[in-house]
Amino acid sequence: MSRIFEHPILMRRSARTVRFYFEGKELEAVEGETVAAALIANGIDVFGETERGKPRGFFCAIGKCSSCLMIVDGEPNVRVCITPVKEGMKVQRQFGRSGVPW
Amino acid sequence: MVKTQLLVVGGGPAGLCGAIEASRRGVETLIVDEGVELGGQLVKQTHKFFGHEGFYASVRGFEIAKRLKDQLNEHVKIMLQTTVTGIYEDVVVLYDRQNDVPLEVQADYILLATGASERFIQFENNHLPGVYGAGAVQTLMNQFMVLPGRRFLMVGSGNIGLIVSYQLLQAGAEVAAIVEIADRIGGYDVHLRKIKRFGIPVLLRHTIKKALGQEKVSGAIVVQVDENFQPIEGTEKEFAVDAICIATGLVPSVELAAMANVKIEYVPELGGFVPYRDQNMRTNVENIFIAGDLAGIEEATTAMIEGRIAGLTIAQSITKANLSREIESLQRELIEFRSGPFSEKVRRGLAKFFPQRVVEYSREPQVDSGPVGKLRPIIECYENIPCNPCQTSCPTGAIVVGGNINSLPKIDYEKCTGCGICVSKCPGLAIFMVQENVEPGFDLVIVPYEMLPVPEEGERVIALDRDGKQVCEAQVIRIVRFPHKTNLVHLKVPAGYATRVRNFRVKKQENVFVCKCEEVTLEDIEKAIDLGFTDYEELRRYLRIGMGMCGGRTCRSLVLSILSRKLGKSPEELLKGHFRPPVMPTKFESILRGESNED
Ligand SMILES: Cc1cc2nc3c(=O)[nH]c(=O)nc-3n(C[C@H](O)[C@H](O)[C@H](O)COP(=O)(O)OP(=O)(O)OC[C@H]3O[C@@H](n4cnc5c(N)ncnc54)[C@H](O)[C@@H]3O)c2cc1C
Ligand code: SF4
Ligand code: SF4
Ligand code: FES
Repeated sequence: MSRIFEHPILMRRSARTVRFYFEGKELEAVEGETVAAALIANGIDVFGETERGKPRGFFCAIGKCSSCLMIVDGEPNVRVCITPVKEGMKVQRQFGRSGVPW
Repeated sequence: MVKTQLLVVGGGPAGLCGAIEASRRGVETLIVDEGVELGGQLVKQTHKFFGHEGFYASVRGFEIAKRLKDQLNEHVKIMLQTTVTGIYEDVVVLYDRQNDVPLEVQADYILLATGASERFIQFENNHLPGVYGAGAVQTLMNQFMVLPGRRFLMVGSGNIGLIVSYQLLQAGAEVAAIVEIADRIGGYDVHLRKIKRFGIPVLLRHTIKKALGQEKVSGAIVVQVDENFQPIEGTEKEFAVDAICIATGLVPSVELAAMANVKIEYVPELGGFVPYRDQNMRTNVENIFIAGDLAGIEEATTAMIEGRIAGLTIAQSITKANLSREIESLQRELIEFRSGPFSEKVRRGLAKFFPQRVVEYSREPQVDSGPVGKLRPIIECYENIPCNPCQTSCPTGAIVVGGNINSLPKIDYEKCTGCGICVSKCPGLAIFMVQENVEPGFDLVIVPYEMLPVPEEGERVIALDRDGKQVCEAQVIRIVRFPHKTNLVHLKVPAGYATRVRNFRVKKQENVFVCKCEEVTLEDIEKAIDLGFTDYEELRRYLRIGMGMCGGRTCRSLVLSILSRKLGKSPEELLKGHFRPPVMPTKFESILRGESNED
């Protein structure tokens, strides 16, 4: 939804940015964050659809629930909540288990 | 094939403490964690922990993670972003995500410290993006500084629900309400008070019925429940929220333990299915140990103690050194911690594995509130929780929690010098300072404050009571900042209000316009000055202030007075800006016409 720039306790750890692609669109991420964090920061919270066509986002953010599966650099079923974002990475929404993008 | 004496699965507080103790005794240790950094749940905890100093009470969670990591020595190897995917009779299989390769490990001993995962609950549309686990929200906001919503509904009032609500406020989000299906709050009273004084409603005997929205959450319907937790028709309330945070409990991650032939038993008091273990954290499989949330949902302090006990027991088996003194002392520590009323459930659960003991603690509360007119702390901590930094931080020994950490804090006002250290150290933010009649007609209240914006000295703010209700206006007369970031804000309140005021709210300045032409507010200007734009020209270029149609006539003097107030300089010193023609907006057309007339 948005980045936190000012916090009473925490300091931002990195200001360096990397560029990645979501469905072909170039987006900015902060170095070291996960793909899920980068997507949310860019206002994207629908990560895909279930087999039956229901929208799907992240739920646990620690790699346990598999709610966040996406296609990363062509590979389906990647848990983006524990995958650090990399320069030039290509991220796509995943439809069901099949891995076919929208 | 990698060989190691000890394999630690999970690098949270439990796993780290196990590795620290074992490696200190020379045991070759490999820690495997699937996260991007070590620390488990600790890395996303921004609040100060309870407990006692030996286990980092009053230190913020992410700081504890750092301190634990620093204690790992040369006998420890670490693999991150690596998941342990299976445990077989003679080999453990890992999957290294970074290099996309599986790996095999042979370990003499295994310490499983895999923690827990969030309990999912059933309600209509619970699949929608915007329905998030409380830990997940924490990970995003505190580890990566990204907010996954603006306005949250919190489901569950255990410590996690209460703490995450507070942390959401710190991150700048709103919490519409906390709903709790039981008829009482699950977490500590001091955590509840921290959020109540911001006016967040807590609805007992309520649960979530439905998430609203097509693509993602746009609201929530909450409903009251009867004694059997069944929804009462007609009591539905709708909340406009864009995120729903589920904090209804954790479930131990037992999969690996089960694969390793550890006996799994159903003990609801410990979180559901949990592996069997004895007092030394050894399971029914000779060389497999467990610790932390996996062994029963509890908290970081007990996770650390359990981890240490496991690490020591393993080291003892490997090195044959006699470590029973250290182990027994930690076991006594656990017994003391678990003696309080909040551990009653855990004790009942653990009693299924081995007999439980308790040690007595004092339930006697503080009775007097000290001599009127003296600057003194008021301690609003009324539950027997395992915590004592108030006692250990007081330089004069005025606060006593007593021999048992679960006892209630008591203060001897004769000994207290009014230094305020206890106020800043208390992890429950439960201590305030008061002094009646600091000035004729005024009382002083000092409150611990960990929010933004931090007001300025001299600023007038809205004083709030324990329920977050507005009670009067107050003036900030002093702010004492601490490196650990709990600021002490001194509030001057009208006489008689010292007993009521426990919080304050900064008056909103968003709609205070300084420059209407370019829509620049007082807040924008103050922020820019804080960022280092300290002269009129710089501010003008940064905010376009004074560059509007009026040519700066309206705003120039206002900006200068703000600058002068913030920087303590006189307006003459500050006005270095040039005045450029035209003084009135003039159309280029007319200017050009003028030029051609001259020809
Ligand atoms: C919001 C919140 C507030 C809390 N506040 C307090 C507090 O004030 N005081 C307090 O004492 N406690 C508090 N706790 C509780 C405390 O954080 C936990 O009890 C503690 O972290 C448990 O430690 P652990 O090491 O067992 O598990 P965790 O910290 O959860 O660590 C488990 C680790 O194991 C890793 N892992 C799991 N499975 C695998 C696998 N298959 N392969 C590799 N790695 C794996 C995970 O990535 C994780 O890093 C709080 C918890 C939460 C969520
Ligand atoms: S104000 Fe200072 S002296 Fe008084 S109880 Fe607190 S820490 Fe002790
Ligand atoms: S008053 Fe003492 S026991 Fe109570 S929360 Fe604060 S530090 Fe802990
Ligand atoms: S959100 Fe649960 S696995 Fe990623």
